[in-house]
Amino acid sequence: MLEGMGMESELRVDPRILEEFLQMNRNILDAPKLVAAPDEISLGMTPYDVVYSEGKMRLLHFSSDKPRQVRTPLLIAYALINRYHILDIHPQKSWVRNLLDQGIDVYLIDWGTPTALDKYLGFDDYVNIYMDNCVDFISNEAGVDKVSLQGYCTGGTLATVYSALHSEKVRNLVLTAPVIDGSKDSTVVANLAKHIDVDKMVEVIGNMPPEFMYYVFSILKPFEQGLEKYVQFFKNIHNKEYVENFIRVEKWLSDTPPVPGELFREWVKNIYQDNLLIRNKMNVSGKTINLREISMPVFTQVAVGDHLVSPECSMPIHYAVSTEDKTLRIYATGHVGMIASSFSQKRILPELGQWIKERSEK
Amino acid sequence: MTTEDFAKSMGYYKHVSLFWTDLLALMSSRQQSILSTGPFRKLGVNAKQVGSEMIEINQELVEFNARLSEYYKQLADTWNEAQKQFNKKVPEIPTDTEHLDSTKRIWIDIFENYFTRLFDSPEFAENFGKVVSSELELAKRWNNIMSLVLEAGNMPTKKEVDELYKELHMLRKRVAKLEKIANVGGNGNGKRT
Repeated sequence: MLEGMGMESELRVDPRILEEFLQMNRNILDAPKLVAAPDEISLGMTPYDVVYSEGKMRLLHFSSDKPRQVRTPLLIAYALINRYHILDIHPQKSWVRNLLDQGIDVYLIDWGTPTALDKYLGFDDYVNIYMDNCVDFISNEAGVDKVSLQGYCTGGTLATVYSALHSEKVRNLVLTAPVIDGSKDSTVVANLAKHIDVDKMVEVIGNMPPEFMYYVFSILKPFEQGLEKYVQFFKNIHNKEYVENFIRVEKWLSDTPPVPGELFREWVKNIYQDNLLIRNKMNVSGKTINLREISMPVFTQVAVGDHLVSPECSMPIHYAVSTEDKTLRIYATGHVGMIASSFSQKRILPELGQWIKERSEK
Repeated sequence: MTTEDFAKSMGYYKHVSLFWTDLLALMSSRQQSILSTGPFRKLGVNAKQVGSEMIEINQELVEFNARLSEYYKQLADTWNEAQKQFNKKVPEIPTDTEHLDSTKRIWIDIFENYFTRLFDSPEFAENFGKVVSSELELAKRWNNIMSLVLEAGNMPTKKEVDELYKELHMLRKRVAKLEKIANVGGNGNGKRT
């Protein structure tokens, strides 16, 4: 009878496709019942105290019930893009929790949300005032002369500049996907940054707006991230762990603060356009940054699948510093996978914790 | 119409607009001077500048549209190329689940590769830089008009507020550095919480 109605072609389709399609629709309808809305969840798992603040910047000190194994505290300088929550996004994937469990005292700088008033904050303010005051504060609290310093992504650049200018206050330097040599960066971010009229941008709109970063993120892996990711989310809607992790990371991804105009200008010009940092020609508050001044132990971590900061952009720091106690590790993961994944818990953090402890004051 | 013809007619449009804006401003300058002492102080005087900015905005819009068209052309061309490649690789869409899934994977991979190559290219980045730059020019003109309106309302303009921010920033920085010298450390600078 159907043949007579001209519906032969429809019957040739695998009925499982139809079933999958219907299941997907059911999953979409079920989604609100199964998953909390991003606004309903709060990121960050490990308790902390805000021990110091200056301007919009806050210094967080994480609590732990595990005994401390070393006296030297670790200060983490988070990136300027997105927020620090990714380092503590899930109890089983928390960078901070893992280091605390290894007996390391952890502090973290939350740069906060700059407003128009902060338009003129630059490298000098971030490095010589904010970071330096945090280091002094921690040193006084812990009764030590030096701290271990870790910088992630753009925070790695700040940590590098700080260590070159204040090497006497840094015992160990850990650089995780740091932005160092813009000329070698093969990512889309670097390609766009090289062609932006950053002076005009800062003059006209002041701080770099978050929307600009969202645009850049959206073209990094447009089909995988913009389409397939959500298909997989709805397919896995009944997998509690999967969806919980998905929503947390999505919420983190969609929240990036503006970057102070002057800092953005210096960043794009010094790192991506003129490539001054790696050539020891970058100037901060009248002082030239010489990477040879970095004489403390240095641990550099890069990821082969990093599409935000390519390994070629980070690795030159390993060869530019003067210290002989230096380690370079290349991991088979991505920019976020390096800090918030099962892989980082099993492979990266145990090695890092061990490295820090061996070089810290007992 | 060729690009040259278009540029010529745009130039002529700009000239005619400016001519009449200037002439009208000259013809009405006496009446405007009375306004400059009243509640709408400067509104009349600034009217000519607002007109000039509007004329400039039209020109910037032309540049912005040209850059935006190029941007979408790059995207459309890349899409077509990727689709061609996909059609070559998968001439017929399968109708069973297993093959449909792998076909989707192939589609994503091909499109991802083509678009990543585009976004990595200097041609894309150069045009993107120009799109942003022309957008900023439009924003600048808009800011200029807003400043004239704010000025007429005897309100601080963006430029004046920016000067204030700069002054505050320098002061904060000086205080922070002086406190640092005085305290020999950072504890006195911020807030111990």
